Amino acid sequence: MSEYSCLIVEDSPMMRQLLVFALARIKNLRVTEADDGVDGLRKLASASYDIIVTDINMPIMDGLKLVKRVRSDPAHKDTPIVIITTEGSQEDRQRALQLGANAYITKPIQAPQVIATVKELLKID
Amino acid sequence: MAEPPRKPPPPSSESAPPDLRKEADQVLQNLTKGSRVTDEFIREHSKLRSRTQELEQENARLRAQVEADDAVRELLAKIARLETEKKELLTRFAAAEEASNAFDERRREFESEFANLANLFVASNQIHASMSPRGVTRRIKEVLAQLVGAESYAMYMVDNQNEELVPIASEGVPADKLVSVGTRGTRLGDVAHRGSAVVDEEVDSSVANFDEPPAIVPLAIDDRVVGVIAIFSTLRQKTRFDTTDFELFKLLGQHAAAALVGASLFAKAERRIPGLEAFLDLSV
Repeated sequence: MSEYSCLIVEDSPMMRQLLVFALARIKNLRVTEADDGVDGLRKLASASYDIIVTDINMPIMDGLKLVKRVRSDPAHKDTPIVIITTEGSQEDRQRALQLGANAYITKPIQAPQVIATVKELLKID
Repeated sequence: MAEPPRKPPPPSSESAPPDLRKEADQVLQNLTKGSRVTDEFIREHSKLRSRTQELEQENARLRAQVEADDAVRELLAKIARLETEKKELLTRFAAAEEASNAFDERRREFESEFANLANLFVASNQIHASMSPRGVTRRIKEVLAQLVGAESYAMYMVDNQNEELVPIASEGVPADKLVSVGTRGTRLGDVAHRGSAVVDEEVDSSVANFDEPPAIVPLAIDDRVVGVIAIFSTLRQKTRFDTTDFELFKLLGQHAAAALVGASLFAKAERRIPGLEAFLDLSV
C-alpha cells in the first residue's frame, strides 16, 4: 500500500494538534508540522510531500505567499494544497484558488471535512 | 394399366362351336374384370401411398411441435428459476445495501464522535498547557476563536464583592461595549447565578449582538461560579452552534476557570512548586 506524506503549516499549536489528530485517521499518511510559511518552505526544500495543508493568517510568511512560492517551484507545482482559514468570503476563496490552492476549508474546522478533502486530493479510497 | 391385346376373331369361315365361343367370352369378361380390379387396386395403392406420405409429414410436424413445446417448457422453467434467483439476489442486495448504509451511518457517527473528542482533548490539553495567567487566557481565546469559531467575545471574572463581572479578556468587542456588568438583573449575571450556560439556538449567531449574546457560558471551580464567557458573534460562515460547541462550552465551564485560577496562584507564588509536604497528606 502506498505511503503518503503531508506537511501542515500552521502557527497555532492547537490547530496543528487538531490537524494532526484528524489526519492520523488516514492510514499510511505521515504528517510533518511547520510553524509558519518560512518553516514550511524550509521543510519543503529538504523533503518531498504529497500534500500541503496550510493556514492563511500566519506571522512571518502567510499562507497565500507560501502558496505562491510553492507554485513557482517546479518541484512542487503539482503538489495539492489545502488552505485553512477563518476567512469565509467568496473573494478570499477565489483568491486562494487562483494562486494555486486546490481546496479551501474555513474555520472552525470539522475533522471529517479535512479528512475527506485530503483523501480526495490524494485519491485515497 | 393398358388392356392386353385381344386375340383376332377366328375366321368366319371356320366359326367356332357355341360352347367354345361362350367360354372365350367368359375368359374375356374375366380378363376385363381383372384388369379393372387391377386398375382400382393400383389407384387405391397410389392413394394409400399419398396418404401415408401425408401422415408421415403430419407425424413429423407434430413431433417437431412437441419438441418445440418441450423447449418452451424448459425455457419457461429456466426463466422461473432465474426469476427466483433474481428475487433472492435482489433481497440479498437490498439487505447488503441496508447493512452497508447502517455501517456508513455508524461510521459517520464514529467519525463525528471522534472529531468531538479530538476537539475536546485538544482544547483541554491546550488550556492546561500553560501555567501563566496570560498563557491560559491566550489559549482560552484560541479555543473560542479556532474551535468554536467565535468572532467577538469577552471573558469576565466576578469581583471580590460578588457584585460585578469584570471583563479581563476580549476579542472583536467595541470599547464602549466592554464594560463591567452587575451580577444581578443582567443576562450575564443571571447565568453566573444559575451556573448553567445559555445558548440561543434560534438566532443567527454570526450577527453580532452585544446586548443579548447568543451564548453565555459560566466558568466554575467545583460548584462556585467565578466568571462567564460571552460570545457576541461567530464567524460569518458559522451561523449556528452545534453539538461540538455545547461540549466545548461544558469543557470551558469546567476547566477554563480552574486553569486560570491555578495559573494565577502559581504566578502569585512566584512559580514555586509547593514542597513535598503539601502532597503527603493527599493520600486517599
